[in-house]
Amino acid sequence: MLELHDITAGYDSRTPVVRNVTLTVAPGEAVGLLGPSGCGKSTLARVTALLHRPDSGTLLLDGEPVRRWRHRAPRAHRTVLGVVFQQPRLAADPRLRLTDLIAEPLRATGRRDEIPHSVGELAAAVGLTPDLLDRRPHEVSDGQLQRACLARALVLRPRWLICDEMTAMLDASTTAALVAAVENYRAASGAGLLAVGHDQLLLDRWCDRTLHWDDLAVGAKTKPDQPTR
Amino acid sequence: MTLTQERPVLSVRGLSVRFLMPGGRRIAAVTDAHFDVAAGECLALIGESGCGKSVLASALLGLLPANAQAAGEARLGELNLLAADERTLARTVRGRMVGLVPQSPAAHLTPVRTIRSQLEETVGALTDARERTAVRAAAEAAAERAAFPTDHLGLHPHELSGGLAQRAATALALVGDAPLLLADEPTTGLDRDLVDHTVDELRRHVDDGRRALLVITHDLAAAERIADRVAVMYAGRIIELTDAKRFFGTPGPRHPYSRGLLQALPDRAFTPVPGMPPELGDLPDGCAFAPRCDRVTDACAVRPPTIDGVACHQPHVPERLRA
Amino acid sequence: MTCDSAAEPAWRSYGTSRRATRAVRVRVSAALVAATVLAVLLVPPLVQLDQQAVDLSAKLLPPSWAHPFGTDDLGRDLLLRCVYGLRVSLLVGVVAALAATVLGTAVGVSAGVLGGWVDRGVMRVVDTVSSVPHLLLGIFIVAMFRPGVWPVAVSVALTHWLSTARIVRAEVLSLRSRPYIDAAVSGGASRWRVAVRHLLPAVLPQAALAAVLMVPHAMWHESALSFLGLGLPTHLASLGNLIQGARGSLLAGQWWPTLFPGLFIIVPTLAIAGLAGAWRERINPRRRSELML
Repeated sequence: MLELHDITAGYDSRTPVVRNVTLTVAPGEAVGLLGPSGCGKSTLARVTALLHRPDSGTLLLDGEPVRRWRHRAPRAHRTVLGVVFQQPRLAADPRLRLTDLIAEPLRATGRRDEIPHSVGELAAAVGLTPDLLDRRPHEVSDGQLQRACLARALVLRPRWLICDEMTAMLDASTTAALVAAVENYRAASGAGLLAVGHDQLLLDRWCDRTLHWDDLAVGAKTKPDQPTR
Repeated sequence: MTLTQERPVLSVRGLSVRFLMPGGRRIAAVTDAHFDVAAGECLALIGESGCGKSVLASALLGLLPANAQAAGEARLGELNLLAADERTLARTVRGRMVGLVPQSPAAHLTPVRTIRSQLEETVGALTDARERTAVRAAAEAAAERAAFPTDHLGLHPHELSGGLAQRAATALALVGDAPLLLADEPTTGLDRDLVDHTVDELRRHVDDGRRALLVITHDLAAAERIADRVAVMYAGRIIELTDAKRFFGTPGPRHPYSRGLLQALPDRAFTPVPGMPPELGDLPDGCAFAPRCDRVTDACAVRPPTIDGVACHQPHVPERLRA
Repeated sequence: MTCDSAAEPAWRSYGTSRRATRAVRVRVSAALVAATVLAVLLVPPLVQLDQQAVDLSAKLLPPSWAHPFGTDDLGRDLLLRCVYGLRVSLLVGVVAALAATVLGTAVGVSAGVLGGWVDRGVMRVVDTVSSVPHLLLGIFIVAMFRPGVWPVAVSVALTHWLSTARIVRAEVLSLRSRPYIDAAVSGGASRWRVAVRHLLPAVLPQAALAAVLMVPHAMWHESALSFLGLGLPTHLASLGNLIQGARGSLLAGQWWPTLFPGLFIIVPTLAIAGLAGAWRERINPRRRSELML
């Protein structure tokens, strides 16, 4: 289980952008989180991905409470979560070729021997052709770069996947292709998904259930004992 | 197609743009584009990212980078935008003849000045209003036209919501009363409600019949909501140009790529077009879509001519032809 | 509609004139820098003339064919003296700039990456050192050692790493919040790996640019110290020493012993700045938008 209990987070403790949010994702489940832009749902995604320490609340990762965030978080915690961000341009180190971009988490965790096998397999899974793998980010389109970013998120075979507006910048065909790649991975691995977005049509089609941001906050305030499921 | 009696506001003929890259490589970003946009009409240019649609917009505004070359014609009134020099473009075209609604209004507005001062500056630059009260009135009128609340004029861009920032940017685009509005991805990253809102407001500026609107977008839902006609771009070429109602409704698009693009929508089949678009620097001689196409035949090794708005050897034929 | 224009269309280019002026500027700067480097590297071994050769019969001669830059008050050829001076000044400049950049980059990256109290502490040190006038601090450092090339280089380096540290730290801070750093953290990268593999390569072009721009700055500083008589010993003809030595002649109306060493400082400065400007345009991320796809 991926459980967020009563999470309050933000960049200024006086005006948190996330207030008392409670949310649960079961293994193998796909949960959509729908909210308008700027509502704080990306901050919640960063908290869930262990990239931003919340002001209060608890995050349980497979029943184990998370106490440290970012670099301080144990590597085993960080790598069990895969993250895909909204803007592939900003989420890709401009100096790395796509191969190295995808392989970077394997290098960082000392699993170099898996690189030849994993990178080839994942590139095919996300629809990247071998000639694209030799390019640097500025030599490919947004859609192609986002495919590489998805492959990077999957390369450590995470049990949980967090997609923060993964397809907001992309056209319909690339969106469908990326969602299909995520779903193929989940079908094979049984990974859970938290998909954050603002497109209800997309989230309804993609996820098992879709939560509305406003309901989350209100629900937490008025019905604190109510389970989210 | 909507038949308009008058001359179109913008008439593009054989527009091509290419980039010269180090090592002599040539990237054919736009090839041989033909289209018209009339007053009171909205044409949506749709396609995947990297298909050349933003380059086309930059070419119309004369904002191509130094390693670009353009050819063909883009007539706006008497002026060929592609042949105009920078002075003409700056003094008579941008703002006065073409109003640009930008992709990210937050980045388009000056962060350190209020919306009012930016509007007034634009009024001063683009219109004859010189007197303080006249400038002020014109700025407020522009804000009103874009449905920007006048009591928010004293705010700075960072104090505005995404929707209001978009309206402020639209107000700036409307100041010069340009006959052509050009919106480059006006809805990227906005919520669905805000997309609908933005699109409806843009549409309103066309419906008075005085302006033409060219919208460049990858958001098919936004295109469906706003456009009278749709031009689908693939690998730098316009492969289908048709009526929006027929495109999104029945009988649907005729080019296999357009059909695939629509089928990728989450409220339709949600299946992607297989494969990826070709490199603009290394386009095949024949149809650029052939490697991804399920209707491919030997004929596709030759580039298809555009017949009846569709560049395809094997277009889908509407089941009931209304002759 | 025509679909296949058989003839090649008439292409129109953009922004060529601006590019042409930039190319000229870069070429002139590059030529001057190359000339400077060649002069200091090749003249001393190739030209078998003693720059120290005193010829009192030929003292303070104005420029002529025999002495294109004239002679100084001991009858030494000024062209030769200037080339040797440039050699010493450039050596001090390059060594000091390199040392300052390495130090500044290390401090800036550490402060930016570690953050928290390390960052606050380091930046207070930077502020404190910056609040002391450079020249004063430089004089103080030089005064602790015997005159020579190294003390001057150290003095210049220790007073000039601050700006690099600030630039690098600011750059690291802005990069640190980028999603690609988040992605690296999420991929299990250690702090060290993020710093060395993602942040350092990103700031290196900026740091290298700062280093190049610092070479003339360090030369000026060396000249200022030498002019004050605190820099290099007088037998090492640096440009600052030359100007210092010529002060008396200037008052007597002999302009050449000051003008030419002065030009030898100014011309390489402008040339290096011109090249660095072109480089800055190259590393500017906006350039990537040249292919707007």
